[in-house]
Amino acid sequence: MNIHTYEKFWLAASMVLIVGFILTITYGAVGLGIAMIDDSSPTVDPDNLDEHPGFADPGVEQVGENEYEVHVIAVQFAYFPNEIVVPADSTVTFHVTSEDVIHSFSVVGTNANTMVIPGEVASLTVETDDPGEYGILCNEYCGVGHHDMEARLVVVPQDEFELEVE
Amino acid sequence: MSSELEREIGHDEFDPKGTLALITIYFLILVVLWIFMYFVEFVGNDLTVVGVIG
Repeated sequence: MNIHTYEKFWLAASMVLIVGFILTITYGAVGLGIAMIDDSSPTVDPDNLDEHPGFADPGVEQVGENEYEVHVIAVQFAYFPNEIVVPADSTVTFHVTSEDVIHSFSVVGTNANTMVIPGEVASLTVETDDPGEYGILCNEYCGVGHHDMEARLVVVPQDEFELEVE
Repeated sequence: MSSELEREIGHDEFDPKGTLALITIYFLILVVLWIFMYFVEFVGNDLTVVGVIG
C-alpha cells in the first residue's frame, strides 16, 4: 500500500496525541494520586442514620495526625453539619450520605464533587492546602428548596483549629 | 478548454504543504489546550479527590 509521507506523519501525530492523553491520565492517577469516587463504602440504612456510628453525630473528627474524617448528612434542603471547619495542610475524608432523595455534595469551584445517594455513602478524600472558604452546593435537583441547599467549608490555619476544638 | 494535462506528477511528488502546515498548527493547538485543561484547569483546581485506585 502506497501511503503518502504526509499522511504517515498525520497518522503518527494522532497516535502520539492519543498516547499522550493516556499517559497524562495515568500520571494523574499514579503520580498525583487523583482518584474517582466509587461505591466501595459500606451501605447504610437511610431511615436509621442515628444508629450509625459515624452519622449519628455528623461532623468533623480527628482520626490521625493531620487526618480528619467528616460525616455529612444531606437532606431536603440542608446539610448537617451546615458549617464544616477543617485545618489547613491536612487530609480530610468526607463521608456523605442522604436521608431522603438523591442530592450532591459539591465544593464549589473545586474538583471535590459527588452524588449523594440514600443508602450509599460517598467517600472522598481531599488535601487542604491554604486556609480559605468554600461554598458547598447541591447540584442534583432535589425538590422545591433545592436552590437553598447549601453549606460552608472553612479551612482555617492549623493553630486556629486547635483553638476551636477546645 | 484546458482539459489536456498540463503537468503529470507522481504519488510522492504531490506535496500539500499548506495542508501540512494547517494540520501541524491544529496539532500544536490540541497539545497546548490539553496541557492547559489538564494541568492548569483540572489539577490546579484544588480541592482534588485523591486516594488509592481500587
